[in-house]
Amino acid sequence: MRLKAIVCQVMSREVEFVAPRSPHSVEIEVLTMGLHDLGAGMHSHLQARIDASDAGGYHAILLGYGLCGRGTEGLCARSTPLVLPRAHDCIGILMGGHRNYQAYFEGHPGVYYRSPGWIEFQSPDQSLQPAMTAMKQTLGERRTREELIAQYGEENGSYLFEQFTAYRRHYSGLTYISTGVPSDDDCRSLARAEAEREAWAFEEVRGSLALLERMMAGDWDPEKFLLVPPGATVRAALSDDVVTTS
Amino acid sequence: MPQNQDLYDAVVNGDAKKARAATQAALDASTPPMELISESMVPAMDEVGRLFEAEEYFVPELLLAGRAMKNAMELLRPLMIASGQKFSARVVIGTVKGDLHDIGKNIVASMLEGGGFEVIDLGADVPPEKFVSAVEENKPQVVCMSALLTVTMPAMRTTIDALKSAGLRDRVKVLIGGAPVTTEYAREIGADGYSENASGAVSLVKSLLPAA
Repeated sequence: MRLKAIVCQVMSREVEFVAPRSPHSVEIEVLTMGLHDLGAGMHSHLQARIDASDAGGYHAILLGYGLCGRGTEGLCARSTPLVLPRAHDCIGILMGGHRNYQAYFEGHPGVYYRSPGWIEFQSPDQSLQPAMTAMKQTLGERRTREELIAQYGEENGSYLFEQFTAYRRHYSGLTYISTGVPSDDDCRSLARAEAEREAWAFEEVRGSLALLERMMAGDWDPEKFLLVPPGATVRAALSDDVVTTS
Repeated sequence: MPQNQDLYDAVVNGDAKKARAATQAALDASTPPMELISESMVPAMDEVGRLFEAEEYFVPELLLAGRAMKNAMELLRPLMIASGQKFSARVVIGTVKGDLHDIGKNIVASMLEGGGFEVIDLGADVPPEKFVSAVEENKPQVVCMSALLTVTMPAMRTTIDALKSAGLRDRVKVLIGGAPVTTEYAREIGADGYSENASGAVSLVKSLLPAA
């Protein structure tokens, strides 16, 4: 089979690691990390890349994404099947499935997740997606204290910075998902240092590349993957299925 | 009843200090607290909502307006309680279990407060049983829940089910919100409503309450 994989940068190292082991020809296209910050706006970026691949004669387009806060809802391809892992987000994919994630999540509330991609691409290449910078500017969430003070004055600017960074104080731990990619050791050290800096408890879990391996290998068990026939649309299921089609 | 222009402007412009000063000056001049809320803060909040819808205001401006309203309310609330005046309704609000995101919830809470409601904010990562006990204790008319993750959205359903089991579901209107939440989801889990943004949440709360 000739497959096209459109994947989020956050798991690009893992995908680059497993794709060569696939018996199929997999062409990889990496999209910048952080599209989920756009909310529903994520959809149009992904749809444009699907549309550009739709006439490429691929047997399927693989999406290296989860439901991503409904960012993948509404995606469709006119003439190529789409394959999407049943996962809420990259954490579920890198843990090998959303049930593993759910089980861990329930036992570990208040945990901030990191993986090699979350460390390596923390400052995503904004030039790839001009819309993202603009979006963040209007929300104000990624601006520095100095930038906020410059726009809103000393008192209000400091208050806004506090509000936008307060979430970090709510967390009590950082969990690093080790995936075995070449940068794993370096990324683990950086994740550990971040946890120490924030006074968060550090924990490591062994990730799993099984879901990505299966996706690249064409082993699309419907329990683990949503198969979207040409013309059908991805929908959120918010049940154990996570995603469905309409 | 006249609008207090200083208070109105301070809220719309997100100036917490001026909001407090204008409120104090009005109270010193014997303006009734309820009049400040209904004639100045509620219209100011409506204007902030309008500017947000028109994409002239964004999240930072909502946060600043919310803080200005909070500052004014800190002066008004004790006086209202002391004089036995009633808020238009009481709202219990929180981010559901497992979810630590609270910026949106905080904005809704402050806009509800500025809209004349008594708000009991349970914070983030609020388990269903805490919502239940807060409803038992405070007897609110409305419960608002927020979730930012699709992983934590099911906790909204669990919380509604817990209210049902405790026999409290019929006593409150339940509203939900958060980036991945939709009207269909509200319907599916038996909530009474959903709002896409904070000013919509205030209108929704008002529309669900019996006319005063």
